[in-house]
Amino acid sequence: MSKFVIFADSTCDLDKALREKIDVQYTPMNYVIEGKEYVASLDWETHSAKEFYDFMRNGVLIRTTQVPAENYRRDFSKYLEEGLDILYISCSSALSGSVKTAEVVAGELMEKYAGRKVICVDSLNSSLGQGSMVIKASELRAEGKSIDEVADYIKTNRLKYNQFATVASLTYLKRAGRVTASSAFFGNLFSVKPILISDAIGQNYAIKKVKGTMASRKEIVALVKENVENAEDQTLYISHSDALEDAEAIRDMIMSEVPFKDSYINYIAPIVGASVGPGTLGIYFVGKEVTIEGKA
Amino acid sequence: MVRNKIDGEFLELMLQNGYRNIMLNQAEIDALNVFPVPDGDTGLNMTMTMSGGVENHESSKNVGEMMASFAHGTLFSARGNSGVILSQFINGFAKGSKDMDTMSVSDFAKAMESGVKQAYKSVVRPVEGTMLTVMREATEFLSNNKDSFASFEDCFMSLMPVIRRSLDNTPNLLPVLEEAGVIDSGGAGFLTIVEGMKLALEGEILSDDSKASSSLKPSSKISLLPDNGTLEYGYCTEFILQLIYSDHRADSFNLDEMIATLETFGDSIVAIREDNVVKVHVHTFTPEKVLAYARGFGEFLTLKIENMALQHNESIKENKKKKKHQKYAIATVASGRGIQEYLTGIGADVIISGGQTDNPSTEDFINAFDTLDADYIVVLPNNSNVIMAAKQAAKIYDKADVRVIETRSVAEGYSALSMMNNSVDTVEELIEGMSFGIPNVTTGYITTATRDSSMGGVAVKQGDYIGLDRETIRSSEKSKTDAVMGLLKNLPGIDEKEVLTGFFGNGVAEEEAEALKELIEESFPMLECAFIEGDQPVYDYIFALE
Repeated sequence: MSKFVIFADSTCDLDKALREKIDVQYTPMNYVIEGKEYVASLDWETHSAKEFYDFMRNGVLIRTTQVPAENYRRDFSKYLEEGLDILYISCSSALSGSVKTAEVVAGELMEKYAGRKVICVDSLNSSLGQGSMVIKASELRAEGKSIDEVADYIKTNRLKYNQFATVASLTYLKRAGRVTASSAFFGNLFSVKPILISDAIGQNYAIKKVKGTMASRKEIVALVKENVENAEDQTLYISHSDALEDAEAIRDMIMSEVPFKDSYINYIAPIVGASVGPGTLGIYFVGKEVTIEGKA
Repeated sequence: MVRNKIDGEFLELMLQNGYRNIMLNQAEIDALNVFPVPDGDTGLNMTMTMSGGVENHESSKNVGEMMASFAHGTLFSARGNSGVILSQFINGFAKGSKDMDTMSVSDFAKAMESGVKQAYKSVVRPVEGTMLTVMREATEFLSNNKDSFASFEDCFMSLMPVIRRSLDNTPNLLPVLEEAGVIDSGGAGFLTIVEGMKLALEGEILSDDSKASSSLKPSSKISLLPDNGTLEYGYCTEFILQLIYSDHRADSFNLDEMIATLETFGDSIVAIREDNVVKVHVHTFTPEKVLAYARGFGEFLTLKIENMALQHNESIKENKKKKKHQKYAIATVASGRGIQEYLTGIGADVIISGGQTDNPSTEDFINAFDTLDADYIVVLPNNSNVIMAAKQAAKIYDKADVRVIETRSVAEGYSALSMMNNSVDTVEELIEGMSFGIPNVTTGYITTATRDSSMGGVAVKQGDYIGLDRETIRSSEKSKTDAVMGLLKNLPGIDEKEVLTGFFGNGVAEEEAEALKELIEESFPMLECAFIEGDQPVYDYIFALE
């Protein structure tokens, strides 16, 4: 049985220490501020999280690029040369075209490195939804599962990774074209917090509106309770775009009512951050399979 | 003259006299105002409701036929609570007299019974001490004594004091009237109509002083016709012209030719000739041409030109651009350009202008519905006095399934709209989502007191700024800011509120609203605040607290 390397990309929002501990790699996308391109590091190597989100708060437009084919070639080849296979768990194909590029590159590389496997799995999720799938893949690998078994597990179970997110404003997601919602969500809605799921085809889909910060927290706690399965065996994942206090507050509320084993909080890194804007909270856990498919 | 029976024509005359009497006394009825805010429009609403019957019925000797068409007319013109109840009463009366060729006193009593029954049925929770009580007690008196009257004259002679006593008793039944020291305005309107009918029996036919303006209103029937005009905006031009023959100007006058010529100037034309007088209504971009042309035949007795962009009935212009098909459409009522635009921005499909001082009629709703193309129309009436007209429109309308969410203030309507999710599968889910938060909405108003008063223990001086919620006055102060802060402090449940949205009125500067926002955020740190330019009349501020 061949050994394999697990890859993610710039949207998995896992910090460096954790990535090293579970032994996963990522291949980066880029972000562009005022015409200048920067590598979208998960470790805030160019701009700090505060700097990055302050740009957005001040109205600086930040665009993002998908993973350049060359990055895949460079990063995957390094391990293929060593005789290792590659399992790439990508950002949702509904949010980024990266996985399509990766599939093309994978075909190319498998020809070049005969006998090697490059498997691309669309996570149909992003941020710590994708990140927690990557962690699971690493755990399965540690249990001795083969690359195909792990890939099949992720494909079979990816829709059980629930996301409930709130954004301070839908403006960023709308501008980035990365949300599906009826027009009723897009008005100048003061203090209305839309709740976004990652739907059955990997879109961010606005399922409901809640008014006020407290009400949105309560609603999220209710949604977690309603959808979680075997909380005691899993970690609660929370990502935030420069809103640590809010993230901790919602964590405390959820943990006091749902018996998660533990919790993990991290920043939303530049790629997802540029789409959702500052003040976003994403809650991720494993539970009931997502069946909703959003229509605008 | 003594009448044992009346026919359709005479009943018509009585009703017309009743209408004219309430028109003459409209201001006094309006003044029977319970709240010290300028919202008294009962007289206006009842007059408008009656006018729909008077102007749109088919004359007939047959009582049943005449009443059926009269009642139908009031269904469309009904506005305000009092107007809708009156129109329901008239429709019940019409049903009760359906098979009557002529009408005896005993028949009249029977029709009244049917009217009262329908009026009560139209109100979800009938409140005694209102017009309903007055109608009911008048009818009970008639039913008990119908065989003892020698004639209609005799009957009305005895009936009037009964109605008067019933009306005077309303403050004893309804504490809010007693506290304000007034009798019920709807009941007073009813008395005024009956009084006019009695005068007709006595041979005193009231002259129609305001005939010029009222009889020239484009009637319900005319504006309900499909509108094939291409006019976007323009001037609603109305006049009464006296044909002048002395200088031969009118010699060549021909009504059909006039209509044909007016058609080259505009559309929505109504032109009626009565002897030497011609009444004209036309929508035109060039009223000056219309006037010059008309003056070629005579002189104006009255003349009125209104820019239609400013007209009450927004739906006239909306008619021109029917919207694309939607599963769900939202119709809502608001006054103030800012609020109207804001509500449109967050999902309202059509706005019916109106509100506290200007209750839209059933017909206004129907015209607004006609601008939409939807499977379901959800209506937010945004005022307790508008809910009934909205429900009546919902019942009459047959081109869409119309549902009414009983929002009692524009703050509640705003809240419902802001929570709308129209991607749901069923209208029930849509309504559930919109209605869910309404019980949690507290509405606050800031306005100026129009007279000295006392409400809920707060002494109010004329000219003071007063802060009120939907139930009662919570503050009365010389300064506007003090009135706002007093209102917020005294609002029940303010501590549980998270979000305050303030709409500032047409007399309020943005800087003032911003300063107020800072002050509120300082005093109520738990509140997230936003202020929106509402441009509304009457209220300096409308607050939605959620």
